[in-house]
Amino acid sequence: MAVTNTKTSQPANPNDRVYGAGHKLVGKNYTTPDLIAKVTGTSKYAEDFRAEGMLFCRLVLSPTPHGRIRSIDASDALAMPGVKAVLTADDIPAQADYLNDNGQTIKASKWGERALTNEPVYQGDPILAVAAVDELTAAEAIERIKIDWEELPFVIDPLESLRPGGPNPREDGNVWTRPKDHPGPPELTKLKWTEKDFEDYRQGKLPMGEAPDTWSYGDLDAGFKNAALVLDESFITPDVSHQCLETRTAMAYWQNGKLYLHTGTQSTAQTVPAIARWMNMSPDNVVLISEYTGGGFGSKVTGTVIMIVPAILSKKLNAPVMMRISREEEHFIGRARPSVEGRVKIGFDKDGKITAMDMFTVCNAGAYDAASDGNTAPRIASLLFQPPAMRWRGVTVMTNTPTRSAQSAPGGMQAIGIIEPILSKAARKLGVDQVALRRVNCPEGKAQYGPPNKEGKRAHTTSCFLKDALDRGAEQFRWAERVKQPKRMGSKARGVGVSLSTYVGGTIGFDGLMVVTPEGKVRFHSGIGNLGTESVIDVHRAAAEVLDVPWDVCEVVWGDTSRVFPYTCASGGSQTTHAMTRAAHSVATECVQKLKEVAAKSLGGSSDDYEVAHQRVFRKGGGAGLSFAQAAQKAIELGGIYDGHEAPPDVHKQTKQAVGMLAGRGLVVSAKDKYPRDGDTYSYVASFAEVEVDVETGKYYLTDFLAYADVGTVLHPRSLGGQVLGRSTLGIAHAIGQKWVLDPEYGVTVAKRFYQNKPPTILDVPIDMQWAALDIPDPETPVGSRGVGEPPVGGGCAAVLNALSDALGDEIFQRAPVYADTILASYEAGRPMQHPLMANI
Amino acid sequence: MSDRNDLKSGENPPKTITRRNFILGVIAGGAAVGAASYRFLAPRGRTYSTGERLITVNVNGKPRRVDVMKQETLAWTLRYKLGLTGTKLGCDRAECGACTVLIDNVPHYGCSVLTHTVRGRNVTTIEGLASADGRLHPVQQAVIDEQGFQCAFCMSGFLMATVGFLKTNPNPTRKELAHGISGNLCRCQDYNKILDAMMRGAEYMRDGIPAGKTLTAIAGNPAAGDDATAALARGA
Amino acid sequence: MAIIRDVMPAFDLLQPSSAADAQKLLQEHGSDAWIMAGGLDSFDWLKDRIKKPKVLVDLSGIDELKGIRVTGDGVEIGAMTTLTEVAEHPEIRKNYSVLSQAVSVVASPQIRNQGTLGGNVSQDVRCWYYRGGWPCYRAGGNICYADTPVGRNREHAIFGADRCVAVHPSDSVPALIALDAKFVVQTSKGEKTVDAENYYIGPDLDITRINMLQPGDLLTAIRIPSTWAGATFYFEKVRDRNVWDFPLMNVASAIVLSGGAISRIRLAVNAVSPRPMRLKNVEDAVVGKPADASTGEMAGKLAVQGAVPLQFNAYKIPLMRNLVKRAVCGVAGQQAYGALTGDLDTQEVAWNS
Repeated sequence: MAVTNTKTSQPANPNDRVYGAGHKLVGKNYTTPDLIAKVTGTSKYAEDFRAEGMLFCRLVLSPTPHGRIRSIDASDALAMPGVKAVLTADDIPAQADYLNDNGQTIKASKWGERALTNEPVYQGDPILAVAAVDELTAAEAIERIKIDWEELPFVIDPLESLRPGGPNPREDGNVWTRPKDHPGPPELTKLKWTEKDFEDYRQGKLPMGEAPDTWSYGDLDAGFKNAALVLDESFITPDVSHQCLETRTAMAYWQNGKLYLHTGTQSTAQTVPAIARWMNMSPDNVVLISEYTGGGFGSKVTGTVIMIVPAILSKKLNAPVMMRISREEEHFIGRARPSVEGRVKIGFDKDGKITAMDMFTVCNAGAYDAASDGNTAPRIASLLFQPPAMRWRGVTVMTNTPTRSAQSAPGGMQAIGIIEPILSKAARKLGVDQVALRRVNCPEGKAQYGPPNKEGKRAHTTSCFLKDALDRGAEQFRWAERVKQPKRMGSKARGVGVSLSTYVGGTIGFDGLMVVTPEGKVRFHSGIGNLGTESVIDVHRAAAEVLDVPWDVCEVVWGDTSRVFPYTCASGGSQTTHAMTRAAHSVATECVQKLKEVAAKSLGGSSDDYEVAHQRVFRKGGGAGLSFAQAAQKAIELGGIYDGHEAPPDVHKQTKQAVGMLAGRGLVVSAKDKYPRDGDTYSYVASFAEVEVDVETGKYYLTDFLAYADVGTVLHPRSLGGQVLGRSTLGIAHAIGQKWVLDPEYGVTVAKRFYQNKPPTILDVPIDMQWAALDIPDPETPVGSRGVGEPPVGGGCAAVLNALSDALGDEIFQRAPVYADTILASYEAGRPMQHPLMANI
Repeated sequence: MSDRNDLKSGENPPKTITRRNFILGVIAGGAAVGAASYRFLAPRGRTYSTGERLITVNVNGKPRRVDVMKQETLAWTLRYKLGLTGTKLGCDRAECGACTVLIDNVPHYGCSVLTHTVRGRNVTTIEGLASADGRLHPVQQAVIDEQGFQCAFCMSGFLMATVGFLKTNPNPTRKELAHGISGNLCRCQDYNKILDAMMRGAEYMRDGIPAGKTLTAIAGNPAAGDDATAALARGA
Repeated sequence: MAIIRDVMPAFDLLQPSSAADAQKLLQEHGSDAWIMAGGLDSFDWLKDRIKKPKVLVDLSGIDELKGIRVTGDGVEIGAMTTLTEVAEHPEIRKNYSVLSQAVSVVASPQIRNQGTLGGNVSQDVRCWYYRGGWPCYRAGGNICYADTPVGRNREHAIFGADRCVAVHPSDSVPALIALDAKFVVQTSKGEKTVDAENYYIGPDLDITRINMLQPGDLLTAIRIPSTWAGATFYFEKVRDRNVWDFPLMNVASAIVLSGGAISRIRLAVNAVSPRPMRLKNVEDAVVGKPADASTGEMAGKLAVQGAVPLQFNAYKIPLMRNLVKRAVCGVAGQQAYGALTGDLDTQEVAWNS
C-alpha cells in the first residue's frame, strides 16, 4: 500500500468498521456488479432507451383542484402535422379486480386513481395525453386543445373539511371509514365535527371530534392518575414529496400481443401483476425492463399510473411511445408523504417512564385511496415507547391535494416526529437526562406492541437490542460531554438531541430461484428491484456462503422479467433484506441438498454421504465427487426435479412458471422460505444530532449527526451505511426544510420548484455524518439480517427537532419543518408565532 | 439572469444589419449526426437554413457535427442527437446538477446551455472520462472502491462537477470539496458516502492508485455510447 | 388553451459579436426580442412557455462585455463577466471583498460559472405567483395573489409595496450599492451612467419593469470606484438551504472608521422590497457615532421603521433589524454567521475558540 502523506490524505474513516466476524462474504465490503455501468454512464434508465419510430407523449394536468370536464376539443391539435393521438379518460380501461394470494377477490376501488380522469380531484391530476413525433410538437398541440370544465367545491386542509358545514373533497364525503357491517377496505363517508369540538383550535390545540378508527389497551386513567407529569401537546408533520431524482418515465411498445415496458420501479417481479391490473390484461403478456431506477423511497413500490399512458398510446398507435414527466409534473403525480396532525397526552413518572399515552391523529390522505399512515403511527408509537396503557383515535381525511403514497417509514416517521419532542419536553421538566429518559422507555427483546387481537394477545417483536444501540451511540456521540457544554455563545445557541427510532424490518414466505450451470456458474434470479440499495445483489451473498462458492463464480440476474424471477416481496417496507435473505438461504440450502442427491445418483450411496465445498460435491472425508459443472450436466440428464422440469409443490405459482422457463438449463433449484419466526421483525436506530442556531437570524446548522443501528447481522457494510445515513437524512429533511406550499383560496400548489420546496443539499447536513451498527444477529431468522431502509427516518427528523428545542426552549415551534422564520418570530415573542394547525405555508 | 424584455417596439430602427452577420462559426454542409429518435424534429412551417442549424461541437475530444435547433439545450443534444445518455435530466431547471458536463473544463448545467452557444468549444461528458484504452478515471475508480452513490441517477453529474472542481483545487479539504460540488443534488441523500468517494478520487488523482489496487478496465468505448460496458457490468 | 410547461418554444437565435451590434439588433426587433446573458433566469420564463419571444439575442459571444479591468479609479466589470470570475478576482478579493462574498453565495457553483454580474443585477423577481404565470398586476393583470389574507407571502416585501409585494432577489446588488457602484447603460442616445440603487424601478413607478432599461438599451459594465477600497465590509445572506436558494434577506455595508467612530458608511439590504434598498436614513444617523452595539441597535430599529408586514413575513422585521445592527457594528466581535462560502469553517472556529 503506497503511503500518502499529503495534507488531505484521508484519515481512517470512523464509519469503516470491521463487520462479518465468522463469515466469508456476509458483512464484507465488495463491488456490486451494477457499479461499473453506473460509473461510466452506460447504465440505462428508462429514458435512455430508444426505439425506431419512437413517439413522445406529454400530459395535460388539471389546473383546478376539483372539477368536471364538460368537453375536450382537440381538433386543432389533431390537425397539426406530427400529432399522432390524443388520449383521454374515455380510452383508459377500468382497473381489474384481482385475486390475492389468499384467494380473496380484491375489488377495484371506486375512488381509486386512474391514469387519466374526467373528474380531476386535485390540481395536477392528469386529464389527457398527447402523442406526437417530438415533444415540441406535443407541447404546441396541447396549447391548441380547448378544455371546458365546471369547477366543483374543494378543500385542501383536513380540518377545514371536518368543520361544521365544511366542504367535501368529493360528493361522496371526506373521511375514510372502515365498514362496520362487512369486511373490506375503507369507504368514503361524510363526517363533520361540532363547533364545540373546534374550541381547542383557537388555543393551537388539535381539536378532537368523532374519530372512526380507535383501539386501546391497559388502564389509561390509572396511568394518568399515577403520573408525576402529564403533557398534552399538538404537533404537525409536513406533507413531503418523494422527489426521486429520475422523474417518472416509461417507454412502451407491443410485439405479438405482449407489452414491453421500460420503466423505473422499486420492485421487478411484483410490478408485473400491478401493471396487468391497471391494463386489465394477463400478467403473462407483460415484459418489464427496469434494471436501473433513479430513486423510489416508497413512490415506486409497484406499478404507477404513468406507466399506463404510454402503454395504451403505444397499442393504439402501433409504435413505441416514450413518456418522461417533468419535474413540475413530478411534484403533482410523483407521490408524497401525508401530513399527520397529532395530539398526544402522555403521563410520565418522576424518572420519565411513560405511564399512559392517549394519541389522536388526523391524516391528510390526498384525493385518492386511503393512506394508512395515521393507522400505522400509533403502532410504531406503542412499540417504540412501550406505554403500559395506550389509546389511539384517528381520522383519515380526503383532501383535494396530490396523491399520497408510502414514503420511507410511512406513519413511523410521523409518530416519532410527533411524540419525540414531547419526550424531550418531559425530560426537561422532570430534570431527567434525555438519554436516560429514552432508556427507561426503550423496547427490549420480544417487546409487545399495539392493541390486543381478538384472542386478547398483543403482537411482539422477534428481537430488539435498541438499548445497546442507545448506550453505544451515546458513548460514540460523547453525549455526557456535550450536554455539559455551554448552550449560548453570543447570538448562537447550541443544542443536542437524541431520538429512538424504529420501523418494520422484514416479511417472510417468499421464494428463491437459482441455477447451477453446466459451465459451473451459480446464477441467482432476483425479482428484487434495483434502486441503489443493493439488496438486489447483497442478499445473495448469504446464499453464496451457504454454497461455499467464491463470489466471482456467482451471477445475479435482475431487472428484466423475460429473464424470469421467483415470487419476490415488493421492494418496499424494508422487507427485502430480511425476506429475500431468508429466501436466498432457503434456495442455497436446497441447492446443497440437490447437489448431494445428484452426486448420490451418479456416484452411488445416499445423499447424506456427500458434502459440498469448493465448488464441488464429494464424498465426506474425500473421495469421488463432481464439480458444479459436472453436477449441472448430470442434473440435466436426470431431469424432473433436478433441471426444472418439475417444480417443488410448495413454491408460488410465479416461481413455478419461472422454473418451467429455466428447465433444462442446469441444476435448477427453487425453494420457499419456510423458516419459523416467532414475532414480527422490526429494526431500530438510536439517533443523535447537534445544532447551532443563530437566534438573531433564525438560521441554524446541523453540526453533527450519528445513527446507531440495530438491524441484525450486517450484510454489506457500505450499502448499509448508505441506507442508514441516507434515510436518516430523508427524515432530517422533514425537520429542516422540505415542505409543500398551497394557496387555500385557489387550492393550488405554489412551491413547485426545488428552491421552493427545498430538498436538502450537501451543505445542509454535516459533512462527516457518522453511523454504526450493533451487528447482533436476529435470533428468529437465518443469517440474522433485518431490513434497514425505513427504521432511521423518524429518528433523523426527531433528533434534529429535539436538538432545536434543547437550544431554544420548548415554546418555539409546534410543527415541522422548522425554518429561520419560525425560530426568529417565536424567539422574539417567546411563544410560537405561527398557528401550528395552519399547514403548508 | 434577467434579461427582462419590456422592449416597446422602437420606431423604425434602421434595417442595415442582416442576421447572417451575427452568426458565428457556423459550418455549413455535411451530414448531421443521427440517433434513432429525436426529441425535437425539424419544426414544420418555419424557415431555417441548414447552415444555421448544422454546427460542430467537440465532445469528448472529437468534433461532432450535429443538426441543432435554436432552442435546443446541450443536454438534449447530447442525449438525443449524440446518443450520450449518461448525462441525465433531473429537473431541466438548473436545480439538481444531474446534467452537469464540462465546457472547456468548467462545470455547467447541460440543461441550461443552448447548444448553439458552445460551437467549437470542448464538451466533456461522463462517457469521456475513462481513458482511450478503457481504464477508468481515478474518480470513477474511487466510486468503485468506496461503493459511492445509491440509485446513481445523480452520479454522472457529481463526477463531472468533481472533476471540474479538482482542476481548480486538486488538494481540497472535505469541506472545500463539499462546497465545490454543492451544485449537485442527491435524493438518496448519500452525501456522506459521495464525499468519501470523491475525496478518495482526489487522492487517486494526486497520488496515483495505491499499490495492490489496479484501475478497472472496461470493455468497449463508452465515449462512443457503446452498450457493451453495460452488458458486461450486468453480467450478461 | 390547455397549459403545458417544460418545453422551450421555438425562437430565432441571434448571436452578435459586439455590443454595438447587439444594441442594433435589439432596436431592430423591439418587443419581439429577448436579451439573454447567462440564461438562468431566461430559461425559466421560456421553459414555462410564459414568455415566447420571437428572437433571442444571446450576449455570450461578445468578448468586449467580459472581463474585469483594474482602472486608475477602481475596477470596471463587464456585464457578461461570470460570477465565479468576480468572486475570484484578486483585486476584488483584496479591496472590494464585500462583492466577492456576495457573489460567492449566489445559487450554486455551476450557476456562478455561467451566470453573469449583469444578469444577476438585472434579474426578475421570484414571487411564486408571478413566476407561476398567474395574471397578477406585474404580469399586466389587476390583482396581487400574494397580498391576500391567505396568500402565501413568507418571502415577500415589508417595504415599498405598491400593488406588487414581490422582492428583488439579487445577492450582488446590496454589495454593489455599498461600494457606490455605477451601472453603465448604452442607450440609443449614448452612454448613461447611473448609481447602482437608481438602476431599479419600484412598482409605484412602473409595475411591469424591474429596472431602467428601455427598449434597445443594454447594460454593458459596472464600475466600482476606489472610494471604498479596503473599507471595513460586512455582508450576510440568510437563506433556507445553503445552496441554490434566494435570500430571505441579505445586507451589505462599507464603513470607514476614524478613531473608533463611523466617518463614512454605505448600507443596503435586499429581499425586503421590490427594489434593492439603500438605507440612507440609517447611514446619516450613524455617521459620527462609535461602531458599537448601541449604535447598531439604534440603526436596526431605525431601519425597520415604517415596515409593513404581510400575513406570513413578520419575521422579516426582526431579521432586518438584526442584520442592519450587525452590518453597522457587528464587524467587531460578531462574526458573520453563515454568510461566507466557508461558513462551516467559520462556525467551528467560533465554537472552538
